[in-house]
Amino acid sequence: MTWWSIVIAAGAGTFLIRYLPLLSGTRLARSEGWLSRFLGALGLAAIAALIVLSMSDLWWQAPHWRGGLRLALGATAVLLVQRLTPNVGLATLVGASIYGAAGWALAE
Amino acid sequence: MNLERAISSPWRAAGQGLRESLSLVVGYAPIAFSFGVITVQSGLTPWQAVGISLLVFAGASQFVMVAMMAAGSGGLTVLSAVLMMNLRHLFYGPALATRLVVLPRRLAPWLAFGLTDEVFATAMAKGASRPLEPAWCLGLASGAYLAWVGGTALGASMGAGWANDGGYVAQALDFVLPALFLALLAQAWRRARWPVVAVAAGVTLLGMVWWPGHVAMLIGMLAGALVGSRRSRTRCSREAMT
Repeated sequence: MTWWSIVIAAGAGTFLIRYLPLLSGTRLARSEGWLSRFLGALGLAAIAALIVLSMSDLWWQAPHWRGGLRLALGATAVLLVQRLTPNVGLATLVGASIYGAAGWALAE
Repeated sequence: MNLERAISSPWRAAGQGLRESLSLVVGYAPIAFSFGVITVQSGLTPWQAVGISLLVFAGASQFVMVAMMAAGSGGLTVLSAVLMMNLRHLFYGPALATRLVVLPRRLAPWLAFGLTDEVFATAMAKGASRPLEPAWCLGLASGAYLAWVGGTALGASMGAGWANDGGYVAQALDFVLPALFLALLAQAWRRARWPVVAVAAGVTLLGMVWWPGHVAMLIGMLAGALVGSRRSRTRCSREAMT
């Protein structure tokens, strides 16, 4: 396989993995069964799993109390801002800034 | 007047989606930049780096793809690794469809192409409070795609620079995606849904002891959704009895 054919096949495969279930999902969306409830809960479950995945990457970069404190400060800032203003972008930026500032302040 | 509103409404929704993609843009740009840098350092040309981002648009699996290609892995091996990593996306389409007002056939391919982890998470968090306009989702995905391709192009052409110096900005950027997911969780949070979150997070964390992250995430996500579907049914039967 040439380089470009691998890239095109990877792109086409990824697209089909996303596209075909989306089409069948329109029928499922109208159903009231177990599968519909399962799909309804999938979004929240995916977000929770993504939080663990992304935060564990950061934890393993600096697995000591300073790293833990930075994560806790950043996470608290996100949740506080999100509670005060329902603005995901602002909460994200404030949380990331606090995390960055904590890294600078807690540097050895 | 109504006709005019009906015509302009999808554009307005798309514009709103594009505006709300700002948090994704901030999260994607530095990661895409790193992808561009790493790809060029692996011996590929900037055009090849941009080509991968343009055609594949699948975050982590692109990094794996470049690493395997640089190591001389065969085409089928690379392909199967990329597709295995993206298997979790099988469930995103049907879940998104349950939140859409309607899914126009002509928009479906574009919506599917842009359905990354972050776009899906943002759409589902928004969809927890109201049905989603397909045009809004398209605007959201477009912002994310532009940031991904643009970030790759910058990284591939400029090489390692300010984002890799370990300073304040680089450290803050490291936390953008976790912060985004946390904010989305807070937005979509319903007290009754805590077992879904606890099981998904717990199973993912435990799974990472034995499996790679993307496998643990898939299993955690499915376990959480399974608990959510069973709880809903239990509540329905309880309500039916009272």
